[in-house]
Amino acid sequence: MADAAIAGVPASRPRLDSFWVVPPLLILAALFFYPLSLIVREALGGNEAFTLSHFSEVLSSRRFLDGLYNTIIIATCATAGCIVLGFVLSLVIAFVPFRGAKSVARLIDTFIALPTFLVTLAFTFIYGSAGLLNVSLIRLFGFDLPPVDFLYSQWGVILAETTVYTPFVMRPLLATFSQIDQAQIEVASSLGAKPLRIIRQIILPAALPALVAGGSLCLLLTVNEFGIVLFIGAKDVITLPMLIYSKAIQEFDYTTACVIAVVNVALSLSLYTLYRLIIAHFGGNRAGVV
Amino acid sequence: MVQAMVMERSLPAATPSASAAPADAVGGSRIGFENVSVTYGSLTVLQSLTLTVNPGEIVALIGPSGSGKTTALRAVAGFVRPSSGRIMIGDRDVTNLAPYDRKIGMVVQNYALFPHMRVEENVAFGLRAHGASEAVVRARVPECLAMVGMGAYAKRYPRELSGGQQQRIAIARALANKPQVLLLDEPLSALDAQIRRSMLDELAKLHRDLPALTVLYVTHDQTEALTLANHIGIMRDGRLKAFGGAQSLFRNPPNRFAAEFLGRANLLPVNDLQPAGEGRVSVRFGATVLKARNHHRLAKGSDCLLCVRPHDFKLGSSRPDANRLSGVVRSVQWQGDVHNVVVEVAGECIRLSSAPMREPPEPGASLDVHFDPADVTVVPEDGADG
Amino acid sequence: MLVWSKSGRVLTWLLAIPLFVIIYGLPIGVIALASVSGQWNDVLPSHFTLEHYADAFRAASFDSLKASLVTGVLASAAALVSGTWAALALRRIQPVPKRILDLCFFIPSAVPSVSIGLSLLVAFSQPPVLLNGTRLIVMIAHFVLISAFTYGNVAAGLARIPSDCEQVAESLGARPFYRLRRVTLPLLLPYLIAAFSLSFALSMGELGATVMIYPPGWMTLPVSIFALSDRGAIFDAATLTMILGMATMLVLIGLSRISSKATVR
Repeated sequence: MADAAIAGVPASRPRLDSFWVVPPLLILAALFFYPLSLIVREALGGNEAFTLSHFSEVLSSRRFLDGLYNTIIIATCATAGCIVLGFVLSLVIAFVPFRGAKSVARLIDTFIALPTFLVTLAFTFIYGSAGLLNVSLIRLFGFDLPPVDFLYSQWGVILAETTVYTPFVMRPLLATFSQIDQAQIEVASSLGAKPLRIIRQIILPAALPALVAGGSLCLLLTVNEFGIVLFIGAKDVITLPMLIYSKAIQEFDYTTACVIAVVNVALSLSLYTLYRLIIAHFGGNRAGVV
Repeated sequence: MVQAMVMERSLPAATPSASAAPADAVGGSRIGFENVSVTYGSLTVLQSLTLTVNPGEIVALIGPSGSGKTTALRAVAGFVRPSSGRIMIGDRDVTNLAPYDRKIGMVVQNYALFPHMRVEENVAFGLRAHGASEAVVRARVPECLAMVGMGAYAKRYPRELSGGQQQRIAIARALANKPQVLLLDEPLSALDAQIRRSMLDELAKLHRDLPALTVLYVTHDQTEALTLANHIGIMRDGRLKAFGGAQSLFRNPPNRFAAEFLGRANLLPVNDLQPAGEGRVSVRFGATVLKARNHHRLAKGSDCLLCVRPHDFKLGSSRPDANRLSGVVRSVQWQGDVHNVVVEVAGECIRLSSAPMREPPEPGASLDVHFDPADVTVVPEDGADG
Repeated sequence: MLVWSKSGRVLTWLLAIPLFVIIYGLPIGVIALASVSGQWNDVLPSHFTLEHYADAFRAASFDSLKASLVTGVLASAAALVSGTWAALALRRIQPVPKRILDLCFFIPSAVPSVSIGLSLLVAFSQPPVLLNGTRLIVMIAHFVLISAFTYGNVAAGLARIPSDCEQVAESLGARPFYRLRRVTLPLLLPYLIAAFSLSFALSMGELGATVMIYPPGWMTLPVSIFALSDRGAIFDAATLTMILGMATMLVLIGLSRISSKATVR
């Protein structure tokens, strides 16, 4: 009933109720907002006078600009990869199911629960200079040097991130696909539409919200990814989180680390805002995300 | 198992059985709405509702979706806060009371049994919430389950029961606390047609067993309302459009909406109302003069509607004092135990229902119908009732 | 069914299944293989050994497993309590402040873990609270990082439990705390377990913040794995990764058993 739906929430009683939210909010403030505010303060001069000099210094430095550039390139490419791969894999699982497709879907889902560096470590064994692929190729064709050498470059990072974050696109996609009426596709087929046409005209429009939401989540996660970059450990692949780590832990330069952290946090908060806006625009249900 | 239960239920129920609660154990308070309005922002979902459900009475609120009937019930339960007006249970003003302090029983459409509790725990829930001793719980739970014929199901989980059985448990749970009033919110809507009919009988019997229980019954189904209720309120757009005894409301609907929502009705546009003695009036329908009761005391000369129920039409020639109409058959439809015929008379299509005919009229044939003036009343056009 | 012809389907599978295997099967496969390899100079390891596993359950590595499990359980439990509390409290709040507070509880998930580690390092290395070098700071970092996910899961669960049940409970005379204990929380149980599982898995794999703040003697598994891999001990790293994955999976499977039992009941 329409009128029941409006009144679905238990009737609100006196405002005392809202005090219940104070304890968790205090915890969050003490453990999250307070520390975060301190890195902003540190970046702006800390105990000394307020200054933007740290900012201008760091923001114009070569290392920072390279880091920012790397971060953006890697995140964009990896996200694009996730969207394409996630869409294709989900299509097959949902619409051309094979025996064991369900278990494959579950296997991919468990990747969400596994640490991100697992894939990087595995890549060392597969694509590393003494890895499976190179050794096989050398055996087969007698190369002198390992022929496949992309792992310790940004392509290695992009491939690893694509692998790790594709499940984040597939999850909402598969949820959306399960809601597409199979009859729609059957009717379209009976009207003579070829698979590609069905994908373009029926599946893609229905999947768009999930694709956009999943993609923007990937963008957020890849911008912030640390483990993969750390494990690959290539000298010339330095992203913002990696830069923060090396400044703070290896060079004990906390001020610079804080400045970069502020930029990184600002970047990822704006991406997060974008993500929320997209979800709000499409409606959480349609995007298959909660 | 189910069969055994049905057998048990079909025993004559002239007097409350010994296992059921004594009649005076439950209920006996009036429910009063005093000028109750409910608004959400700029949206008014209930407008100045004033209505009393007397102790021991069943009042049904019917109306289409969004008419405010459920809101009215939820206001009594305490889940909706009136923006103005008072709600009384007995002599208590409960308007600002929390739901758990209102001493009500409530049954909702989808049963809302607690899925993680056994049947007996569900029924005991209200008792335990009120801090009843285990001895009381042990005595009262079987009593309530017996009342709805579910004594054998105490150890089951809700998901192991059919829809009808779940609804019985929901009723037993609502009655366990011996509430003053029972609120039923579309209790049968989720059941399929056959079970709905038998549950309707059960509810009627339950009220015979607990005659003091005051019941507010919200439904969109007129049959449920007509079967159970002493009084019926018809709602639309947040307003009470009609209220009255079930039979009188059916026989003398106060307006077009009430006539069409409660049962089916032909509403013939008539004019030139004139007194015709013995409480009767005559009105003109096209060229024909028809006689009817004037239950609502409409003024002489007014234009109004003549409400004729499809079953009130008889086919063929008639007694001299009956109203007579001649028309052309437009369609004939057979529905098993009834023939529905549409006849066009003076440009109006009238629908009539008759017992199945061996030789129903053909479409296009002319047909005479008649009806008794005592069966029909004139009804004001909408707008006259505010 | 999108592709109707048999040959078309077979072709699709011939393309897709190897893709699945290479992308998702192979990584797990090689890690598993590496964890039992003695030597791997050829296409396949030349001989197998369980030595890495034996090492893993000795000394430092075993301490790491313990540190990870303890941190994961404690941080997840704390996040569960706080997230559930927040989600329950937020139900009672007017829509506009509710949306703002909702966002507050979600924001930690949008902040990079390294920055969280750095902010805790900066904040708790100076008065009034000194926590640098303690185990507590690791737990706090994990708690902050997972709290948004816990909150999100519980809030989503709360939105899905039938409000009818709670209202009927109230109409039956259940006061708020009684209703919470007897109706809301039991109905919420599957979501609570799911929330805990997700938090636990995230905590087990957490590296970015931990590597910034871990004290001596409280190295979590991911940090140990990184240290090993950095040193070139990639077989040991693979073994610890296997152990990490298996420990996580064991806990998750156990929890989902409990959860489905709770739902069936």
